[in-house]
Amino acid sequence: MSATGHGVETASAPVPVPAKASSHHVFSSLRSRYLAGTLSVVGGLLAWEIVSRFLISNALFLAAPSQIAVAIYNLAVSGELWHHMGISAVEFAFGYVIASVLGIALGVAMASSVTAKQALQPWVSGLYATPTIALAPLFILWLGIGIWSKVIVVISLVLFPVTINTEAGLRTTSERLIEMLRSFGATKRQIFYKISLPSALPFILTGLKLGIGRGLIGVVVAELFGSRAGLGRLISQSADAFNMPELFAGVVILAIAGIVMTAGFGWLEERLVPWTRD
Amino acid sequence: MAPKLTVSRLNKSFGDLAALRSIDLSVERGEFISVVGPSGCGKTTFLRIVAGLEHATSGEVSLDGRLVREPGTDRGFVFQNDSLLPWRTAFANAIIGREVAGKIGPADRERTMELLKLVGLEGFESYHPRQLSGGMRQRVNLARALAIDPEILLMDEPFAALDAQTREIMQAELLRIWERGQKTVLFVTHQIDEAVFLSDRVLVFARRPGRIQAEIKISLPRPRTLEIKRTPEFVAMVDRIWKMIEDDVRTAALYENA
Repeated sequence: MSATGHGVETASAPVPVPAKASSHHVFSSLRSRYLAGTLSVVGGLLAWEIVSRFLISNALFLAAPSQIAVAIYNLAVSGELWHHMGISAVEFAFGYVIASVLGIALGVAMASSVTAKQALQPWVSGLYATPTIALAPLFILWLGIGIWSKVIVVISLVLFPVTINTEAGLRTTSERLIEMLRSFGATKRQIFYKISLPSALPFILTGLKLGIGRGLIGVVVAELFGSRAGLGRLISQSADAFNMPELFAGVVILAIAGIVMTAGFGWLEERLVPWTRD
Repeated sequence: MAPKLTVSRLNKSFGDLAALRSIDLSVERGEFISVVGPSGCGKTTFLRIVAGLEHATSGEVSLDGRLVREPGTDRGFVFQNDSLLPWRTAFANAIIGREVAGKIGPADRERTMELLKLVGLEGFESYHPRQLSGGMRQRVNLARALAIDPEILLMDEPFAALDAQTREIMQAELLRIWERGQKTVLFVTHQIDEAVFLSDRVLVFARRPGRIQAEIKISLPRPRTLEIKRTPEFVAMVDRIWKMIEDDVRTAALYENA
């Protein structure tokens, strides 16, 4: 048999071609992906501007986007904005990181031990369904109006979705994959690190993503109940002064923070768990 | 020469149901043995006991004179579904057995690359399972089992999920690889023609309880090519085995549809 003839069998296997789109193609697909969204946002802002300028001209009820932009600019220049943002960011970061680490640990414990699961499940289910944010005044009473009362509120909101998703992800690990590794004589520890943890990763990331929105709500609402600084504080003092542009400035900053962090997670997911895309 | 694999008086029951009864078998080094039978005859259970993934109710299995109790790297299992890890490349999937066994060195990497080449996946080492076709994924599955250099290959209907053409190609490929390495193989399938084409011996299982009904020596000349499937001897052999299990298959089909 000739050398070329020998490769026939392998050549018959279909060869997958990674999708490599031309730059023109990418551009047009970008346009079709974002065109409707962009138009919708610009149109909405325009309508808002018109309504607040001509229909509801009383500045006590609504601020136009242009006024909000000016307010954000002024707050930024005076340095007040950075101060509020900094405080809120620290509260969020502490609470979020602690809740993530703790939530993953609790999820792992619940997935690996039946006793741990039975002991923790009622608390997790109960507290996840409870609007624990209502306890914010209590936390402030205990810990004062500094950042720690806010951190606790953030933890109480972020912890449970992370725990629940971690546990669910580990529990739904494919038995077939576990058996495959077992057939090579793998230890429990190897099964956990090589199979369970990577296959639970998409679930864990979903839990962390859910935590972003809940954590932001926690920071703001806890600050509304009592604080010296922070975006929630900015919003409440603007409301007291009927300063609508600054109130909206706080809200807009929070919205941007939420969008940026969620988009960051989307980016992370594409890199860490690309196999879940299709 | 001492047999490679010995199975003696093996019984397995699930509660009251006798899945396997009194299985005796002796496999020589380098032999290719297939197990065929209707669904529910315990052929997969038998293979899983040899793999150490399940325990026998009584009786014993020994490989090279050592009793089999747990899974181990002296046996390479090829699964029906490919069971590849979606987050690993073809290469990282193929080498996982060596990873479990301990640290992997350059020699392990080199060997795994060689095996991927042997199964026809040269150039696809860094592809992920979702980028590979069903046949290619089964090739990785096979390379993964071969990578630990097992004493025996245990194959559980590895081509059942493939389309008919790919299956034929994979059968020929498997023979080519087997003829090179002369591994001992225990191959479970429900395709009689696949069993006859590949094997030195075919064990025909009967159901309820699962037991060896007949043992048929296949003396077709080697090396075999796919053309052999059209010879009268081959067709007669397949027909003979089919007649043995026909009644069982019909009953099994009735039970399953009920």
